[in-house]
Amino acid sequence: MSAQAGAVELTGVTKRFGDAVAVDRLDLRIEPGEFIALLGPSGCGKTTTLRMIAGFEQPDEGEIRISGESVAGVPPHKRHVNTVFQNYALFPHMNVAENVAYGLQQTRTPKAEIRERVAEALDMVQMRAFADRKPSQMSGGQQQRVALARALVNRPSVLLLDEPLGALDRQLREEMQIELKLLQSRVGTTFVFVTHDQHEALSMGDRIAIMRGGKIEQLDTAAAVYAQPASAFVAGFVGQQNFLAGTARTDGVIESGPIRLRSERAGQHVAPGPVRAAIRPEYVSLAPVADLTAGAGHGTENTVVGRLASIAHLGETMQYVVEVDTGHETTSLLSRIPTPAAPNVHVDDEVVASWTPGCILVFSDPNAGPAIPPDLTTVPSTTPAHPPR
Amino acid sequence: MRAPRFLLAIPAWAWLAAFFVLPVATVVYFSFGYKPGIFGTHATDVLSLDRYREALSPTFFTTFTNTLRVGVLGTLLCLVIGIPMAYWMAVKVSPGKRAFLLALVIVPFWTNFLVRTIGWQVILAPEGWLSGMLQALGLRENPLAILYTRSAVLLGVVYNYLPLMILPLFVAFDRVGPAMREASKDLGANRWRTFTRVTLPMARPGIIAGILLVFIPLMGDYITATVLGGARGNMVGQLVASQFQAAQNWALGSAMAVLLIIVIAVTVLVGAAIAYVVTWPLSRARRLRLADLEGLPEKVR
Ligand SMILES: Nc1ncnc2c1ncn2[C@@H]1O[C@H](COP(=O)(O)OP(=O)(O)OP(=O)(O)O)[C@@H](O)[C@H]1O
Ligand SMILES: [Mg+2]
Repeated sequence: MSAQAGAVELTGVTKRFGDAVAVDRLDLRIEPGEFIALLGPSGCGKTTTLRMIAGFEQPDEGEIRISGESVAGVPPHKRHVNTVFQNYALFPHMNVAENVAYGLQQTRTPKAEIRERVAEALDMVQMRAFADRKPSQMSGGQQQRVALARALVNRPSVLLLDEPLGALDRQLREEMQIELKLLQSRVGTTFVFVTHDQHEALSMGDRIAIMRGGKIEQLDTAAAVYAQPASAFVAGFVGQQNFLAGTARTDGVIESGPIRLRSERAGQHVAPGPVRAAIRPEYVSLAPVADLTAGAGHGTENTVVGRLASIAHLGETMQYVVEVDTGHETTSLLSRIPTPAAPNVHVDDEVVASWTPGCILVFSDPNAGPAIPPDLTTVPSTTPAHPPR
Repeated sequence: MRAPRFLLAIPAWAWLAAFFVLPVATVVYFSFGYKPGIFGTHATDVLSLDRYREALSPTFFTTFTNTLRVGVLGTLLCLVIGIPMAYWMAVKVSPGKRAFLLALVIVPFWTNFLVRTIGWQVILAPEGWLSGMLQALGLRENPLAILYTRSAVLLGVVYNYLPLMILPLFVAFDRVGPAMREASKDLGANRWRTFTRVTLPMARPGIIAGILLVFIPLMGDYITATVLGGARGNMVGQLVASQFQAAQNWALGSAMAVLLIIVIAVTVLVGAAIAYVVTWPLSRARRLRLADLEGLPEKVR
């Protein structure tokens, strides 16, 4: 095969189910040997995209190329692609070894070679000792490994994984994430990994494709997706954000109720007009109001005084909710601080929340926001009420 | 306090005792008796195997062979027709239309068994409308000569028993689910291999259920065979019934019934053995055990 082996290229791919558009003119180029994480909310078309690469669905428009060749009309069993299904889909009437051997038997591989490769694949996932077990006699994590071995034993150009860790508990899930990542770098196969868990996507993907409504909003490395989100949606979907709706003045200061923000991000140009600012909770620091230096407080840029509404201990971090009175309603600001650095503050205290100008993201479309869980949502104030004091 | 578990099993055991063990035991018991006179049906004061000797007459043997042939051929026909039909309904038909098709399969059961079969007699008769139509269309020169042949009997059997085959097969194929077929295709198996290696083996309980549901009642059925097979359609069931009703010889009838039960059981066992022997080399070739992997070096990369 060519140097293209393992490359996957989707060009203008559209898939409709009746009137509903599941995948909408999607473009995606995956390099050979890359670990791509497809991340997005439920129903955004991740599974459909994967199923089109595997050959279970035919795109209505556009082209899919695998290893440089168009796969239009090629049935699933003739594609050099294997899938690890969400529910594993192991054959219940075969034992582990027979499940893993199944793909090799289809290509009429000699028996001796089948034995060798099955043993090797089972060793790879540390499941050789389970060769005689039936799928029903294994735990979810064990089944997941077998499903992985069953796919990888065929040495596919591309491995598709549809939320393969979805059914596992958190601890096992984190273990498997590390194992899977190591395995991928060892075998060098292209992995397309679907998940709706942002941590999983960030920790595993060489690049992350964030999908929304059948389209890719951003395709980039974890660091870039986190630090330079292409849209408010990406900003809110990867990690959390305090979203503040406001108006940008000609001097670049954004007014959101009593809160004044001045972004000093390199390369960020703030055009005057309605905007949406986003600050990650981990960039918001808190201090007792007594520490307030002269001149700070309401009206000071990138600082605001509010009432501490709640404190939650999340283990490695502490999470604070600060309520800021805007006159008409309250805006809550979320702050997350590493536990060792937690400030000495108590619920109902007046506190000062502040952030560095370099961490503010500004999006010019104020309405395009993600759905964030309600308890963490910042309620944007609609009218810039108070003039600076 | 929780009720002991065996309490829950009591209805099942009672049912089995009342409707299976008791009648069969009675029949077995009667089969060792004799017919005491013109007006008596059975007596069991002297027990012997004489009724069995009487039952195993040459006529009985021919009838038995005929019954067995209809039973086995009919079951195989239902299986061969039922598998693709059930597969098609479970896999290819959209879920919305499935309910409609299932209803169609069950509709014949809404009329009486005898009436349905006589319906076929009317259709297949040489002077019937089918024959007339075929002649009118020039497809046949002579009247249809299918009634009272073995073909007519088999046609009636398929008509009457196919639903009993299709329903369990449908359930079995439906339960395999699309995920298994997709996994198989994903691993490089084409449609046929997917069917033979995944769908069919996973549907095995349904296939066995279908075969038993058709074969066992079919062996005792004589209505289909008499109505459509005429004189050729002699079945053991008919002999048994005539001993109980016309001849009023319950003892001989019981002996014949017991023989029928034994033949059914033996046939089922022989069938299972044949199926096992036929599929053994295939499953043997694909079997892979831990022991087969032993001695292979553990590659740690
Ligand atoms: N077979 C189908 N028939 C009709 N609509 C479908 C079908 N499969 C998917 N859809 C629709 O297409 C859209 C995308 O579905 P898809 O399964 O790809 O989402 P997803 O991103 O995998 O979501 P999830 O995270 O919940 O698995 C959804 O709106 C879904 O309702
Ligand atoms: Mg999905």
